[in-house]
Amino acid sequence: MANPIFEQIDFKRVHRWLNRAIGAEIDFMVFDKDGNAVWDNANKHASEIGQVIAKTGNPLQGMHRHDLSANKTALYQSLGFIGDGCIGWVAVIVDYFKKNDAPVKIDQIAEVLDDVVAGIFDEYKHKADLEMMTDELGARYEELHLVYAVDSHVQAHSGENAQVFQSLLQSTTEHLNVDVVAFVRPSKDVCQYATNLSQEIHNLDLVLIETRGDLYRFIQASSETIVMNAEDDPRRAYIFTDMPYKVIGCPVLTDGKVDALVVLLNHQNKPDFTNSDRKLAEVLANQLSSLSNTYQLLESMHEFNQQLARTLIEAVEAKDPYTRGHSERVHHLSMEIGKAMGLPPEELEDLHWGSLLHDVGKIGIPDAVLCKPSRLTKDEYTFIMVHPERSYEILRHVKHLDKAILGARHHQEMYDGKGYPHGLKGERIPLHGRIIAVADTYDSITSSRAYRAGRSHEVAMKEIERVAGTQLDPAIVEIFKKMVAVEPEWLKHFNIKREKLAA
Amino acid sequence: MKRILIVDDEPHMTHVLKLYLQRAGYDVETVPNGEVALASVLKAAPDAMVTDIQMPVMTGKDLCLSIEAQYPQRKFPIYVMTSMTDREHRDWTQKIDNLKFLEKPLSMRALTQALAAHFSTINADTLNTDGGVAHG
Repeated sequence: MANPIFEQIDFKRVHRWLNRAIGAEIDFMVFDKDGNAVWDNANKHASEIGQVIAKTGNPLQGMHRHDLSANKTALYQSLGFIGDGCIGWVAVIVDYFKKNDAPVKIDQIAEVLDDVVAGIFDEYKHKADLEMMTDELGARYEELHLVYAVDSHVQAHSGENAQVFQSLLQSTTEHLNVDVVAFVRPSKDVCQYATNLSQEIHNLDLVLIETRGDLYRFIQASSETIVMNAEDDPRRAYIFTDMPYKVIGCPVLTDGKVDALVVLLNHQNKPDFTNSDRKLAEVLANQLSSLSNTYQLLESMHEFNQQLARTLIEAVEAKDPYTRGHSERVHHLSMEIGKAMGLPPEELEDLHWGSLLHDVGKIGIPDAVLCKPSRLTKDEYTFIMVHPERSYEILRHVKHLDKAILGARHHQEMYDGKGYPHGLKGERIPLHGRIIAVADTYDSITSSRAYRAGRSHEVAMKEIERVAGTQLDPAIVEIFKKMVAVEPEWLKHFNIKREKLAA
Repeated sequence: MKRILIVDDEPHMTHVLKLYLQRAGYDVETVPNGEVALASVLKAAPDAMVTDIQMPVMTGKDLCLSIEAQYPQRKFPIYVMTSMTDREHRDWTQKIDNLKFLEKPLSMRALTQALAAHFSTINADTLNTDGGVAHG
């Protein structure tokens, strides 16, 4: 292949300069390191001199001489070295007996040729440096592009971790033009992958299982990226046995230890994985690793929250065994209503906590009142009426529950304004409070209490319809009716008593 | 050899584009602004054009709009380089057919893949048309 750097040098100008310096027209040629002519002033000796140069082998400093005929001699000289390699050669032809020219002295030519060589070498070096930097810059752009792309994927799918990963893997298969990209974390039983197949892989599942075995162990042991292109790569004896794919496997480190892999696979007919592929795979592995760590952290925070909430609920239920499961059920029904109403995710999150913790304030009610099997006196009932405000007082310390508290605080308000704690009316009752009220009413009727057994679904629905518009928001009751009309799964799950239908 | 016209005033971009596109086997011409690019297009249309937006003398936006006005028979695709966060250009570019975005920092893989895909569809179209004529 022609050396593109030579093509950028103006040898015609060098030749003009040479003629002026010597004071006569002189034949001038440039060769690459193998003796192929790169430029010449259309003279017939270029190929002969090229062959001589090709045979010269390791070029020494200074000028060499080759006699072309009795009165013509070629003088040639190496252009110098970059690294270990000679970049090329220049040659001139000296004609001792040209009629109109005074014979030129070889010493003078040697001096001029030294200058020419130094000039060409400098220009070549600059251009080679520029090309190297350009190449490197292009590679950096490529990496930055990938990093930015990861970032924009994360922003586009915030909150949906699985989707971020999936869309990232998918776009990587396209961007790097590879058949399979997989993120494998054997300890968590995770193997997420995307494909952009140039040809079918019949046993893809098996191939992916294989990545969790020897490939993972190999990379875990070496902590280094592995690239296998050749089918007869000796490492294939113990990695990816019988699987003829080209492979890049990148370690994903957490706290300095390999705990996952990014695997890129290509069919054999695809070009070999390059250094640039390897770099990009490593960039991707790094990005996925920090993403995955963030998600794990989020998940454990979420778990912690759930456990803390569970603890609070246990505390309430420990006081009154009859309310066991009440919070869970009201929570479940409230969420079903919220989803049926099409509430956005952040509101569902608030409803989640509000409904789960709505009765936390019952901790403050004396056992004698809470568990009394007979009718409550007016004073005793006052204690009960305080519990939503108590819930508020307990939960307000958690900033994250700011909005969720509203649902818990106002779940005993009535639509006609006769409820407590604030006697709010209609739409002024926070929406979550109105939702939880419907779920709470339903569960109070269908579950057993200290003073009575739970009644049937049908009784509960009848009662709910009766108080729609007075106690409960009629619009939400309508939604709830539609919801139960399709016999949802929770009716069985919660063991709700049913009326025997007439045969 | 397909000829690609690159319009950008920043040498770090033109060097990268030129090197990578030449390596991919394209004939590359680079010009420093929209005005020179427009003259080049009107003299001889390239097979594809890659342009920046921010440039002295004539911006990429003015260049694209001028080509639309003065060379309506354009068949070659235009690729406009824009930063990933910069959405303000989505408006005027939507009115121009056969124009695509390249997001900066530029992925030369993405560009060479897009060009290869473009030229292979053109080839396929030409073959199909020829086939149609032969059968007709």
